[in-house]
Amino acid sequence: MADYMNPELLVSTDWVAEHSSDPAVRIVESDEDVLLYETGHIPGAVKVDWHTDLNDERIRDYIDAPAFARLMGALGIGNDTTVVFYGDKSNWWACYAYWVFRLYGHDKLAVMNGGRKKWLAEKRPLTREALSYPATTYSVMDAHLEIRAFREDVLRHIGRPNARRERVELPEGNALVDVRSPGEYSGELLHMPDYPQEGALRGGHIPGAVSIPWSKAVADDGTFRSADEIKSLYEAQGITPGKDIIVYCRIGERSSLTWFVLHELMGYRRVCNYDGSWTEWGNVVGLPVENPSLEERRRKEARTAPHPEMGTM
Amino acid sequence: VNRAEIIDFLVEHARSPSNRGRLADADVIVSGGNPNCGDVVTIFLRVDHENDRVAAVSFEGEGCTISQAAASILTEMVSGSPLGEIEAKDYQGMMDVLGREVVRSRPSCATLALSTLKAAIKKYRRQRTAEGVDGASTPEGPSSREVGGPPAACHTE
Repeated sequence: MADYMNPELLVSTDWVAEHSSDPAVRIVESDEDVLLYETGHIPGAVKVDWHTDLNDERIRDYIDAPAFARLMGALGIGNDTTVVFYGDKSNWWACYAYWVFRLYGHDKLAVMNGGRKKWLAEKRPLTREALSYPATTYSVMDAHLEIRAFREDVLRHIGRPNARRERVELPEGNALVDVRSPGEYSGELLHMPDYPQEGALRGGHIPGAVSIPWSKAVADDGTFRSADEIKSLYEAQGITPGKDIIVYCRIGERSSLTWFVLHELMGYRRVCNYDGSWTEWGNVVGLPVENPSLEERRRKEARTAPHPEMGTM
Repeated sequence: VNRAEIIDFLVEHARSPSNRGRLADADVIVSGGNPNCGDVVTIFLRVDHENDRVAAVSFEGEGCTISQAAASILTEMVSGSPLGEIEAKDYQGMMDVLGREVVRSRPSCATLALSTLKAAIKKYRRQRTAEGVDGASTPEGPSSREVGGPPAACHTE
């Protein structure tokens, strides 16, 4: 059985238990449930709230480099600290935080395989003790902007098709992965259930995207699927290591997990996360969209519609 | 009240919830939420028919800290309350009770218990009307007294 290209980017719960008080390591919890950390966390772990810590409150973007440096300083993370993420929902948000940290050039990163779920299943200890570490002076060195795609990059990636065109073929060597649920991909849903504030005016997907929901890359126990399983999952849809790949979802968090799997674990060289994702694409005027559920509805209507009689005009 | 105190208040309720469990002799049982997102609350409501007040209320559920803490806090708040008072509660007010500063990124979780309790009262009213009792006590219908809609909710009875 093949291993991941970069297996060291995943650490086990045992490893975390052994290193939770290692001064060279900082364990960071990042969850969807914004108060889960406060109910109890891995001893020694600090919290990064994706909503309040990593996002700029005024404009739609991440915090800037000086703010990131201040955050790192406050968490006691130095440029040489190894940061290990874990969280709820199969490490979905942990991977999002990981991606932002990588974007700002922090290179010593890992994810605890299985996340919070596995830690709890193994009946390992949690604590509610509030922690603080001595502040550090952190400098953002080389940002990895190449792992982020903007709307313009995506338009170029799909060959700038005429938005009125019904079918779009991606330029040779380019691939696009939509990691949302099948209902969002098909255009039936304009937002995730329970996230109505993160909706879009148009449903469907970016032309040329294949649908591979993010959760297919993780097992029921929250751990990542094996390298062989991941390889066959993505290659079956033409997502191969040599391609230029852009992944997206709704705001870029679920696709961060897919980015982690392909770019980090599997070592695919060119994978970007389009964090504007569907909440941008589905709301911008004039962008091309494929909407299978609309096409299906039109086909049904065409079958059932009465034929207008001659002379009625 | 500062942010840390609000968080403590919510976390304590999530860890040691009040009124959690089934109510054996409930008049109505209504579930709300979305299992796909993991937040589900089921409200068990027994009504003091004569006085149109809550006789007993409890909940079961699972999901995020905010949704479960909110259910515990709400059931404490409405113990013995007139049903009309609950029907008139607005969702923004519920967010303020829970601490808007902390729950504002999760409005649907924060208001799930309230919207489910309102759905339970609506069902109770319908049952009473169908049984031919009490129908005249809500001439304008309960829904007309609601202020605003919940940020997101779906309910199954």
